[in-house]
Amino acid sequence: MSKFVVCSVIFPAIIISLFPWKNEPCHCLLQGLLSILRKLKSTPDQEVRILLLGLDNGGKTTLLKQLASEDISHITPTQGFNIKSVQSQGFKLNVWDIGGQRKIRPYWRNYFENTDVLIYVIDSADRKRFEETGQELAELLDEEKLSGVPVLIFANKQDLLTAAPASEIAEGLNLHTIRDRMWQIQSCSALTGEGIQEGMNWVCKSVNSKKK
Amino acid sequence: MKHFLRVVTQFFVFLYCKCLWRGLKFVTRKFTGRCELQRICYGNKPGARRTLKIESSLRYSKYELLRSALSVHPDQVEKTIDDIMALKKINPDTNPQLGVSLQASLLQIVGYRSLMAEVEKLRREPYDSENAEHESMLMKLWKELRPDTPLTGRISKQWCEIGFQGNDPKTDFRGMGLLGLQNLLYFAEHDRAAALQMLQDSLQPKHKYSFAIVGINITDLAYSLLVSGALKTHLYNVAPEMAGLQHFQQIFCYLMQEFQRFWIEEDPSDIMEFNRVRSKFHRRILRQLKNPDMALCPHFSASDLHLVNL
Repeated sequence: MSKFVVCSVIFPAIIISLFPWKNEPCHCLLQGLLSILRKLKSTPDQEVRILLLGLDNGGKTTLLKQLASEDISHITPTQGFNIKSVQSQGFKLNVWDIGGQRKIRPYWRNYFENTDVLIYVIDSADRKRFEETGQELAELLDEEKLSGVPVLIFANKQDLLTAAPASEIAEGLNLHTIRDRMWQIQSCSALTGEGIQEGMNWVCKSVNSKKK
Repeated sequence: MKHFLRVVTQFFVFLYCKCLWRGLKFVTRKFTGRCELQRICYGNKPGARRTLKIESSLRYSKYELLRSALSVHPDQVEKTIDDIMALKKINPDTNPQLGVSLQASLLQIVGYRSLMAEVEKLRREPYDSENAEHESMLMKLWKELRPDTPLTGRISKQWCEIGFQGNDPKTDFRGMGLLGLQNLLYFAEHDRAAALQMLQDSLQPKHKYSFAIVGINITDLAYSLLVSGALKTHLYNVAPEMAGLQHFQQIFCYLMQEFQRFWIEEDPSDIMEFNRVRSKFHRRILRQLKNPDMALCPHFSASDLHLVNL
């Protein structure tokens, strides 16, 4: 029993008297001030608005989660949209991933304004819908609100054996006829992450050159 | 230096708390003549209140036997309880009820774990259109939801009528795999009237959404509630012993109906608000499950409830 008294009463009393508790508020305040100073010093990142579009089951949400280094194992079809902010090369990329289901496509236009870069995702293995995806892309490129906006086309799902190579897709979509904006096609696999970094490098490069 | 002192202080405070906690337990044990597990069983009525406390008591026990009891195989539960009683020197003849109570609680605890494993296995099984069993389940879903309209073909625009995205539902199950399909089918089969009503409501122009896709999204919500442990409250209150897959499926049915109600309450301007409403709904369910007396009350017919009690 006496052991217990020592444990619960005397021991804490010693600890409390030994350590400078009273200094703690001062310490916190100082640290807070320092962090504010630090924030003021560094310039805020430039914000970039990126629109992620494409047919349903193209891999937009997987790509978004890969960019944000999140778990991609339980993705569900997107109803509405998802948004994430990612830091990259001194930019703050605000990526908007809008559902690609036919019923949702009419809402795409609500998100066009102030877009800096358009990323269009294609399922390279879904050859049956190449025509449909080409039509949607052509309509997007005709949009007035998106005129001059650089476009990156991700030829996604290259991990699948049946995937068409990027060159074939570029030809099928007549990409070489695009003259009014910068464009790029990049083969990638949102599942393995391959090719995504190269694509994002191009995005940052095109934002930089647009600024100049 | 200051930082170092803080770490040392925190360490001592932690040690102190631990000593104090053990001391307190020791004193109460001497005073009441009962160990912590006994006190929990006598002081709390069966259900989440009791089982949650037993679970944390076992987890933080100083005995390896008690800590490992949490992950014991269901068949070993009875023996484990006998071992614990022996270790704690509790006489089973003078405390006949204790062993039974502990056993029920431990079954609930290990049952939750095995339910998680079962659900995870289903989720990881992707929908395969070559698999006849998967295909027949999908066809059954159509028949349940659209009994009067025959499907014109396996690949058909008609799938959009029950809220899939395109001509072929197989790509819509994605990360939820077979779990999504099984949940939808269970809802359509066991709570048919509600499912048909919900499907009809989902087609109303004012509050339009895609029934099947929302079902797969709500499966994800139920799954994350299960994995985070939030569903313990509900399952420990509802399932007297081990929870089975049908408990999870009933939670799904409940969540679907609640979501439908919530969606209309929120009065969204269009489907683009889905994720905002969904995360608000998620927070609300989490808040409800914080209350240990809470059970998500599935609106089931008596026959199904009987099934639960078996």
